[in-house]
Amino acid sequence: MESRTGEEVGSRTKVEVNYFARVEGETALVVELDGEAFVQLRIFEPPRFFEGFLVGRKYDEVGDIVSRICGICPVSHMITAIQAVERATGIEVSDQTVTLRRLLCLSQIVASHLVHLYMLAMPDYYGCPGIVDMQERFGDRVQRLIRMKDVVNELTGIIGGRALHPVTVLPGGFTAIPKQQAFDDILEKLRSIQPGAAQVVHDVADFKVPDFHAACEHLALDVEHGYAINGGTIVSDKGLAVEIDQYDEHFHETEVPYAFAKKSVVGDQTMIRVGALARLNTKFDKLQDRTKSLAEEIGFSPPDDNPFHNNLAQSLEVVDGIEQCIQILEAVSFEDEELFARPEAGEGGAMTEAPRGLLYHWYKIDPLGVVEEANIVTPTSHNFLVIERDLKELVVQRRDLDPPTLRLLCEQLVRAYDPCFSCSVH
Amino acid sequence: MNDRKPRIGVFKYSCCAGCEFQLIFFQKHVLETLKAVDIVYCPMLQSGGVEDGPFDVALIEGTVTEDWQAAQLRKVRSVSKWVIPIGSCAVCGGVPAIKNTHEEYLVQNRVYADTAKVHSIRAHSVDQYIPVDGYIKGCPMGQRDLTEFVTSLLLGKRPDFLCSAVCVECKLEGNICVLVAYGWPCMGPVTNAGCGALCPSHDRACYGCWGPMPSANPRALANRFSKLGLTPEDVYRRFTEFGEPTKEWKAGQVRKWEVAQR
Repeated sequence: MESRTGEEVGSRTKVEVNYFARVEGETALVVELDGEAFVQLRIFEPPRFFEGFLVGRKYDEVGDIVSRICGICPVSHMITAIQAVERATGIEVSDQTVTLRRLLCLSQIVASHLVHLYMLAMPDYYGCPGIVDMQERFGDRVQRLIRMKDVVNELTGIIGGRALHPVTVLPGGFTAIPKQQAFDDILEKLRSIQPGAAQVVHDVADFKVPDFHAACEHLALDVEHGYAINGGTIVSDKGLAVEIDQYDEHFHETEVPYAFAKKSVVGDQTMIRVGALARLNTKFDKLQDRTKSLAEEIGFSPPDDNPFHNNLAQSLEVVDGIEQCIQILEAVSFEDEELFARPEAGEGGAMTEAPRGLLYHWYKIDPLGVVEEANIVTPTSHNFLVIERDLKELVVQRRDLDPPTLRLLCEQLVRAYDPCFSCSVH
Repeated sequence: MNDRKPRIGVFKYSCCAGCEFQLIFFQKHVLETLKAVDIVYCPMLQSGGVEDGPFDVALIEGTVTEDWQAAQLRKVRSVSKWVIPIGSCAVCGGVPAIKNTHEEYLVQNRVYADTAKVHSIRAHSVDQYIPVDGYIKGCPMGQRDLTEFVTSLLLGKRPDFLCSAVCVECKLEGNICVLVAYGWPCMGPVTNAGCGALCPSHDRACYGCWGPMPSANPRALANRFSKLGLTPEDVYRRFTEFGEPTKEWKAGQVRKWEVAQR
């Protein structure tokens, strides 16, 4: 299925990737350079119709079901959906639940970034087909990935029961709270991977990326104090400020005939970008001091409009996420709590920062607690438009490159966005 | 198998790709394990690769929801010694098969205004289309069965997968029965073991994510749920979250409220 070389037909230069490797989900890429450049990201991931079959399910099943949208960011879907259900049905949660959810999401963001950086992105920069082939020359990096991913997954697992598709998270709180000893043990382990985290930033800074600039509006969630993850106001580096409840008034989804994912746009098709780079561009000052000094060391300073630098931004978030988890675990002790939820009819949405950017869930629940309507907008839907635009600018600027090099560059650009096509076609 | 490394192909259909991650980070021993086998096709792990086989083992992830997938499955079957579905989606339909509880057009229209581009068929497990040589169950697939599979492959023996109920593991964990003691609607008695009774160990009723165990008695459990005060709709939902199109759970998937109306 996969053809490794770009082909040339007459004067028409084409870059075609039939089945995009090392991304989550299934997509094809078509770039044609004949006269005006033509770019299409043909996301052929088969639709699973989550928004369709969630109708008729109970409010407390929603979290378990939507976590199956994505195998890399199940926690994000779960927490966003549950917060949306709580918003719709008027269920309140304790401060402890909010803190535990933050720990869950932070640990998952770090794990997801690590997998993307080392397993999906890095092989491109060392001419390897995959991580298995990197083992001989770059064994230390592969070991670092495994060690670090293991520890952060363990944190997710302690709170959630398991790292992939957690079981303890329900509307209203957690079914079980881990023992203090488990938290103490994981705190030690988190401290032990801190030096490795700093090394991640340097590993990623070694990637040779093109000096490519593509301006757009960067969107992220923000709150007054701290690094917003599970809520806040939607802000941009161009001055946008929208409350999550007003999401539907500002954003809308459009369908395209060549992909099963929808494109989500703000207003009149403003180019927006979400994800780690967007977060750093909008709230760099909220990072930990350690992270900021590391950013300075590798020469990263916002505003940065090079999409390839999303990798760098992710590596900085790895350091920051681990640091934040340590601070929370040092400051807070957790107690057993009764899980209590009495849902009322209503509708409501919630938004969180998933590893790849803004994730929105919205539900309408009837008096019996059954879902009547559902809407899910994923980070890759928010980025769909800008990925295609950036690809177009890239191929126009570099059209003189030989086809295999141009093809690799296109693949690197798409991977830098860390797209999740499984999520985008949910 | 002989001295040659086993050749493995990994195919993904409609799913979250979580099982593939379980495989890639198998037991944290990614290097040791992956060195012992030759992964010739796995687009999420590496670029390149040969889709045409031949394979010693083809691992199939995801529910079949489009006809090109069924066609590809038949091809894969013809060039593979073993075909093993991994994870609930491939094993029993899993979450994507919840759509079978609705009319197809209704579900599609809720998501897309333009359904002309959609070529989705009813969601079915892999064994509805081709014969398979075993199942690695779980959502995500379980460590124990995965370990059993990899060691069997390297030793050249047939894997011995778990086929008892979650209840067996729950007893071993020393949990109080949440169905009997608390009256929670626990799917453990009809669900395949492998998770180590994860939910009951975390103060929660099993929701059946491992899919049906072979000799389940869903009718008895459904009746028990009714006696606990669950509505017919609630019972139906319990039995259709994982494994809508399975014969093992069929007796629990009766739309009783519609039967009463007739």
